[in-house]
Amino acid sequence: MSAALLVAGLGLGGGGAAAGAVLPARARVPGAAVLTGAACVVACAAAAGVLTSGKPVTVHSAEILPLTGVTLSLDPLGAVFVLTTALVGAAVSCYAAGYPARSMKSRPAAGLLPLFITSLLLVPAAASIATFMAAWELMALSSLLLLLTGHRRREARDAAQWYAVMTHAGAAAILLAFVLMGAHAGGQSFAAIRAYAGGLPPTVRSLAFLLALAGFASKAGAVPVHVWLPRAHPEAPGPVSALMSGAMVNLGIYGIIRTGEVLLGGGELWWWLMVAGIGVVSALFGALHAAASSDLKRLLAYSTVDNMGLVLIGVGASGALAVTRHDALAALAMVAALFQMMNHAAFKGCLFLGAGSVQHAAGTRDLDQLGGLLRRLPATAALFGVAALSICALPPFSGFASEWLLVQGLLRGFSAHSAATAAALLAGVAALALTGGLTAAAFVKAFGIGFLGQPRTPAAAAADEAAPAMVAGMALLAVPCVVLGVIPGVVMPLLARAAGTALGGPPPDPVRAGTGLGLAGSTDVIEPALLALLLTAGLALAWALARIRTRARARRAEAWGCGRELQTARMQYTATSFAEPLQRVFEDVLRPDRDLDVSHLAESRYFEDALRYHSRIDDAVERGWYRPLISLAGRWGEVARRAQNGSMHRYLAYGFAALIVILVVLA
Amino acid sequence: MITSSTVQWLPPLRSLFARPVTERLPPPPVPRSAARFPGSVQLRHVGAGSCNGCELEIASAFGPVYDAERYGARLVASPRHADGVLVTGVVTRNMAVPLSKTLDAVPAPKVVVACGDCALGGGPFAGGYGVADGAGPLEEPDVAIPGCPPGPVAIAQALRGLTGR
Repeated sequence: MSAALLVAGLGLGGGGAAAGAVLPARARVPGAAVLTGAACVVACAAAAGVLTSGKPVTVHSAEILPLTGVTLSLDPLGAVFVLTTALVGAAVSCYAAGYPARSMKSRPAAGLLPLFITSLLLVPAAASIATFMAAWELMALSSLLLLLTGHRRREARDAAQWYAVMTHAGAAAILLAFVLMGAHAGGQSFAAIRAYAGGLPPTVRSLAFLLALAGFASKAGAVPVHVWLPRAHPEAPGPVSALMSGAMVNLGIYGIIRTGEVLLGGGELWWWLMVAGIGVVSALFGALHAAASSDLKRLLAYSTVDNMGLVLIGVGASGALAVTRHDALAALAMVAALFQMMNHAAFKGCLFLGAGSVQHAAGTRDLDQLGGLLRRLPATAALFGVAALSICALPPFSGFASEWLLVQGLLRGFSAHSAATAAALLAGVAALALTGGLTAAAFVKAFGIGFLGQPRTPAAAAADEAAPAMVAGMALLAVPCVVLGVIPGVVMPLLARAAGTALGGPPPDPVRAGTGLGLAGSTDVIEPALLALLLTAGLALAWALARIRTRARARRAEAWGCGRELQTARMQYTATSFAEPLQRVFEDVLRPDRDLDVSHLAESRYFEDALRYHSRIDDAVERGWYRPLISLAGRWGEVARRAQNGSMHRYLAYGFAALIVILVVLA
Repeated sequence: MITSSTVQWLPPLRSLFARPVTERLPPPPVPRSAARFPGSVQLRHVGAGSCNGCELEIASAFGPVYDAERYGARLVASPRHADGVLVTGVVTRNMAVPLSKTLDAVPAPKVVVACGDCALGGGPFAGGYGVADGAGPLEEPDVAIPGCPPGPVAIAQALRGLTGR
C-alpha cells in the first residue's frame, strides 16, 4: 500500500515537472501546481502509513538507472523527513500557483520547481549509494537552476556561484564517504553497508563519518560551511527559498543521522560531541547575525543557520548518549531534534513565503524601506506573525513545544555521568538560552519594523495584499505552527518510532502518550492545550473587563511624538538602529564595517555640510576563512596559466612529453 | 588639634545627625474630600517659553526642602503618564503647537496648571514679537499660580489643592 503510494507520489511529481515544462503558458503554472500538490499529498500518505505501521517499504527497479538500478526504501526515519518535505512542498505548490513573478512562470522554472520538490521527496527514500547520489544531485542542480532564474541580478549570480561550489564540494565529500563505506562493505545498498558497519576499520569509519559530516553539514548550513546559505536563500525567488530553508536544509540533518547512526551504527563519542559543538557554534552565530541583519530574507536565512544548529545540538546529544548506552535519554534527544526540525520547516517555510509576498508587494526586502505593511497586507502579516511567534518559542505555538522538549532532553542527559557529554549538554543549554533571546530580538525587529509603524517608502505605502493562492499556501504552513503547539502529543509516537529506527532497536517510548508533553519516567508534564486555553481565556477576560470598566468610548489621538510639529516616517526606529545596541555588544563576533564621512562647509570647518553614515556586516567566517582560500586559488590559477599560452604547438608538446613519461614509467 | 581638612569634614558629619531639612508646610488649602485628584496627581511640565525662573522654583518645590511629592504631586516624563500639564512661560510661537499637542496627549479627565505670571497672560514678556497670539487653553487654567516667579511654597500649596493632602 505505502509502496504504491510512494511510487505514485514520485510519479505525480515527475508529471508535475513535465506539465510545467510542456504545457502552454496559461496552463503551465496551475497544472504543475495541482500535480505537485497531489504528489505531496500522496507522499504524505505514504509517509504516514510507514510511520503508523513502523514497517519500512522497499521498491526496487533495475530499469530506471542503468547498471545500478534504483532502490527506494522508506523507513520511519526517512518517513519523518518525507512527511515534513511533503507538507512544505504542498504549501509551496499552492503558493507558487499565485506567485506573480514573471521569472517563475517561464517554462524552465515551472518545470524545475516540481522537479525540486520531487527530488526532495526522493532523497530520504533512497536506499542505495547510486540512488541517493542521483537524488541528491537532482536536488542540488534543480535548486541551483531555480536560483538562477534571477540571473539578471549580480547578487543572484554571485549567490549561485557560491552555492554551486559549496554544494558540489559537499556532494564530492559525501560520495567519497559512501564509496569508502561501500568499498569495504562490498555492495552499494544501504542495507549491505549497515550490515557491514561493525567490520569497518575504526580509522575508515571515522574518516567516512567526517567526510559525510562535512558534506551534509554544508547542506544543513552549519558553521563554518554555511556561507552559501545566507547568500542563496535570500536571492532565490519566494517559493524556492521556502523550499530551501524549509525542506532542503533538513536533508543535511537527515544525512548526518542516516550516515552516523544508521549506516555506521553509532560510532565514537567524539563524533557526536563534535556534531553538538558545531550545533552550538551555528546556533549562536546564526542567531547573532539574524539579530543584526536588516535584510528580511537574510535575517531569515541566518535564523535557519541558528535553528539547524539547535537541531544539530539535539542530534549530537542523542548520538553521544546512545554511544554511552543511555538509550532512553538518546531517544528523547532525538525526538526533540526531529520535532524541532519539523516545526522549523513549518514556521520557516511560512516566514519565507511571507517574505516573498512582501518582496513582491513592496519591491524590496530591505527592512529599512518597509513598514506599515500590517494595514496593506493584513493576511500575510497575520500569518507571518503566527510563524514569528512560533520561531520565538512562545506558547502556545509549536516552537515552544519543541524547544521545551529539547531543553528537557539536554538537562536530563546530565544524569549520564560523563564529563565530556555533560559539558557538551551544558553548552547546548546555554546556547539555547542565548539564541532564544537573540531570536526574539530578530523577530521583534522583522515584524515591528517591517509590518508595524508607518511606511518608509512610497512603494511600501502602495503595497497590495498577496494573491489568495499565496495566502492559502502560507496558511497551510501556519496551521501546523498552531496545531503542533497546542497538541504536540499527536506526533510524538511517530517521532519516537523514527528515533527508534535511527538509534537501532525498539527504544522505550521517551514521551508519554496523550495530548500534552510528558516525559516517560518522570512526573514532568506540560499541557500546551491547557496553556493555550488559559491564555485565550485570560486575554478574553482582560478584554471584557477593559470593555466593562471604560464607560466612554476610546478617544483616538495622534501617536505621542514628544510634541514635534512634523512627524515623518523617517523618525521611526529602523532595523539598523534597533539592532545597533546588540551589534555593539557583540562587536567582536560580528565585526561590523562602519564608516562616518563628514564634509564641512567651505566657509568654516566648525560647521558640517553633510554627514554620511555607512554600516554593513559581512560574514566574519567568509571574510576570515573563505576569502584567503579564494585568493589562494586565484593565485594558483595565475601560476597555472603560465603553462598555458594558447599555442597549439605547446599543447602538442605537452601531450608528447606526457606520453614519453608514461612509457618511461611503465617500461 | 583641628586641621583645615577636619573642618571640611565637619558639616557632612553634622548633617548625619541633624534634624530633617524638610520644612513643615501649612495645612492643605482644601480637604481631601473636595480635591479633584484625591491622593495623587501626576503632572507633565512644559516650559512654553519661560525665562527659567519658574523652573528653578519648581525644582525647589520638588527638592528636599519643600518636597511636594510627599503631598502626592509628581512630575512625570510623558503626557501619557500624566493627569495634567504644568505650564510655565508666555507660550511662544515655537512652543504653541508642542504645547497643544501635549495637552491633547493627556488622557481625560485632565487638569491645566499655569505657573507664573507669564503663563497667566502677564509678566515682562507679554506682547513680545515671539509670543503666540492668544494663549489657547491657558486662558482658563484649572489652577493658577501667580507670581514672578511664584515661590516654592506657593507652588506646593497649589498642587496640594489638587490632591487634598
